Amino acid sequence: MGQVLAIQAQEKPQDSIPTIIMEALDEVVLTATRTERQLSSLPLPVQIIKNETIRSTNALRLSEVLNEQTGLITIPDFGGVEGIQMQGLDSQYTLILVNGVPLIGRSAGTLDLNRIALGNVKQIEIVKGASSSLYGSDALGGVINIITESPREGIQGSITHRSSTFDIHDTNFLIDYKKKRFGMSLFVDRYENGGYDLTGENGLNSLDPYSNVTINPTITYEFGENTKLNITGRIFSQKQDLSIFENQGEANITDWNSHLRLTQVLNSKWEGLLEGYISRYKADEFLETTNGDPVGASDFDQLLARPELRLIYKGVEKWTWINGIGMNHEKLERSDFSETPIFNSPYVYSQLDGYLGQKLNVIFGARFDAHNSYRSQFSPKLALRYDINQTYAIKGSVGYGFKAPDFRQLYFNFSNSSVGYTVLGFNAAADELEELSDQGQIANIVVQPDVFDDDLSPENSLGINLGMSFTPSREISAKLNLFHNTIEDLIDTRVIANKTNGQNVFSYFNVDEVITQGLEVESRWQVSESIQVSGGYQLLVAKDQQALDAFKKGEVFARETPTSSAFQLEEQDYFGLYNRSRHMANFKLFYKNTAWKANANIRGTFRSKFGLIDTNGNNYLDRFDTFIGGYSIWDIAINKSIAKNFEFGLGVDNLLDFTDPQNISAIPGRIIYGKINLKI
Amino acid sequence: MKIENFFLAVLSILVFTACDSDNDGPVLDEVASDTVANLFAPQSGGQDQGPISGEFTKFDFATGLETTSATDWDIAFRGTAIIINGGASLGTIDEPERTGNGAAYIATGTFVSVTEADDSLFVQDSGSGYAIPVGSGNGWYTYEFMTNTIEPIPGRVLVIRTRDNRYAKIEILSYYKDAPEQITPEIAADDLRYYTFNYAYQPNEGVAQF
Repeated sequence: MGQVLAIQAQEKPQDSIPTIIMEALDEVVLTATRTERQLSSLPLPVQIIKNETIRSTNALRLSEVLNEQTGLITIPDFGGVEGIQMQGLDSQYTLILVNGVPLIGRSAGTLDLNRIALGNVKQIEIVKGASSSLYGSDALGGVINIITESPREGIQGSITHRSSTFDIHDTNFLIDYKKKRFGMSLFVDRYENGGYDLTGENGLNSLDPYSNVTINPTITYEFGENTKLNITGRIFSQKQDLSIFENQGEANITDWNSHLRLTQVLNSKWEGLLEGYISRYKADEFLETTNGDPVGASDFDQLLARPELRLIYKGVEKWTWINGIGMNHEKLERSDFSETPIFNSPYVYSQLDGYLGQKLNVIFGARFDAHNSYRSQFSPKLALRYDINQTYAIKGSVGYGFKAPDFRQLYFNFSNSSVGYTVLGFNAAADELEELSDQGQIANIVVQPDVFDDDLSPENSLGINLGMSFTPSREISAKLNLFHNTIEDLIDTRVIANKTNGQNVFSYFNVDEVITQGLEVESRWQVSESIQVSGGYQLLVAKDQQALDAFKKGEVFARETPTSSAFQLEEQDYFGLYNRSRHMANFKLFYKNTAWKANANIRGTFRSKFGLIDTNGNNYLDRFDTFIGGYSIWDIAINKSIAKNFEFGLGVDNLLDFTDPQNISAIPGRIIYGKINLKI
Repeated sequence: MKIENFFLAVLSILVFTACDSDNDGPVLDEVASDTVANLFAPQSGGQDQGPISGEFTKFDFATGLETTSATDWDIAFRGTAIIINGGASLGTIDEPERTGNGAAYIATGTFVSVTEADDSLFVQDSGSGYAIPVGSGNGWYTYEFMTNTIEPIPGRVLVIRTRDNRYAKIEILSYYKDAPEQITPEIAADDLRYYTFNYAYQPNEGVAQF
């Protein structure tokens, strides 16, 4: 996509001393419109994290840097995999892209952000609000796009190593070369994490030790002035040693992507782009007893192939018209599945982006995704921005987002051997239920038999963002954004039959409706040449409509102590969804001393209290549940260059050594590290 | 009518009405209310350890005590299962014979707000399920698999018809020994199946209020 344009744009000589400006006004964003756009002129809420910021904070994995952004927080799921929560939406509702194409492998809905190494990342772009009009499925909460470095003129390389407490070691190597028409780069990263155990006694580690390798080659070639080719590959391989009570095992992941992009300028008005992307994600794990008897095993093998053709028209001044047509081909083999599902989903999209007069920017786009296994989707989006004057601008956007039912929700066929319940995918349920019934396992069927005749609907959302920016000078800027997301047809499990063993058979249905709303404030002040301060805040209210109705109807009760009688709860006693903090905030101070060739920073994040589970038996999170208290995490980092080619860094993450062994297994405690970087 | 006559009439009505409520047939027994603590209801098997078995722990509302009588019981507990002395057996191992006319249903409300049994809602145990359904969220409890705990659903009142057609109501408070404030993993593993519950029993036949 616009990546090729970006290569041209960045061919100016690079500044060798990292600047500390995190978000300059003339920053360029690709993700918001699929073409190059100036960040400061966009009608959408967008954040950028630059390479310089990543380098000065010495972050290694994607989760570390996202956690420090306003309104974003990484949340571990049951498997300990960390995903992102954006505008109060769960991680499966945010699309994660690398150079514009999606990462796959959400075996339990969450995409593991620790899979992504940061050593060759040029910038990370975060677009908030439903964006299915450009990106199709999964873009309900927003889109995060990781843009990697392209080869730069000449030859350069660097080796970086970082070691820290908890036996976390990372070594990466980046070399890139470009001469005339040909460019190439190679990034290799090895990451090792020794794991940790916060609780000590229960036979389960908080994190089992693991290591992984990322290999990321890129080749660029210019056939002429008007034709450019970009080929990127990515191989990721991870091995984790599992230890659960006395059982031992292994979890392996291999993720393999290849991405080809050919850009052709057709004439002064039209430009064409052909993109091919193939990605495969394989994960398998097993557990066995000390005698080698198998305890459990599972495997997951997903394939995505996507050809896409894009035509861009720039024949009218200040307007860009972008059109795309493509197809997603997906296949999944997985244990506990009734079949090997294949999804084919052709799509088309179109978007107009331009100015009406001098001050009003309009983006209007829509996309249609056809599908063979669930209802087809039409996703429109409209965004407007009006520049009142140099200092003030207002912006607003309304977009539709959807998330296709995942393979599990359609084809799962799983019976828990110890407890005895069964979970069936929607498309598999009718047949499997009949089979269970024939086996005499069903006591009675709860749902109407024809409920499975219809298709399951994708979860869908309407996202509204309304914002204002205030830029009195180049040194000071502030942004305010109000957001409101209504997500309908949320897919959840529901009992479809009672089994003769007293347990239930579940399947997936469109049941819930969730509302998340709130406001975000971000501000930045360049105090002097060498000091920059920034801060952000998000207020969030996230509620389930059905829960709200139950509270309103007076159907929800609680007890104050285990021996006191229950009393009725009221609407205002409902706290909202699990794992949402009402308040989140961050603060950052970056300092740079050019004379000493050194920089330092201190960063803090805060989240207010939240609930992880219902603790008083009424199935809802209410004021009388036990909450997990709010906390803050502070990080510091210092980097200094010695001579021309050598830099070293020291830092402490989680300076105050915050841990909560009972409730938060993803925070290991204080991490002290050292880093060296050598340029070749 | 003269005004004196009118007053006389009103006075006589008041007197007669008052007399009516004074001589009101036989005197009723009072509703019995109490809390039962740590009624132990063990089971064998289950949770991957073979089929569930073991004697049910029986309870008699008339005495307010645990009982081993084969006939004089109203409800009985085994693990999370609660059965009624009325209807038919589900056929699990060691399930007692139903000898009475018991029945039950689950009402939503506070213990105090459920003031009357509704005869149209009663269900008896049967070969396809108990009157008080088993399974998380189906009946009186939810099971939280993250913490491996059984929590009584607040606001669920079990309305019972006893073996001999009296009415009672139960609010289950805890499934763990001594109804602890915090259910630690140790308590969840070792001190389970101890019922603590509030109940009210209407000893007068044919009176549905309690």
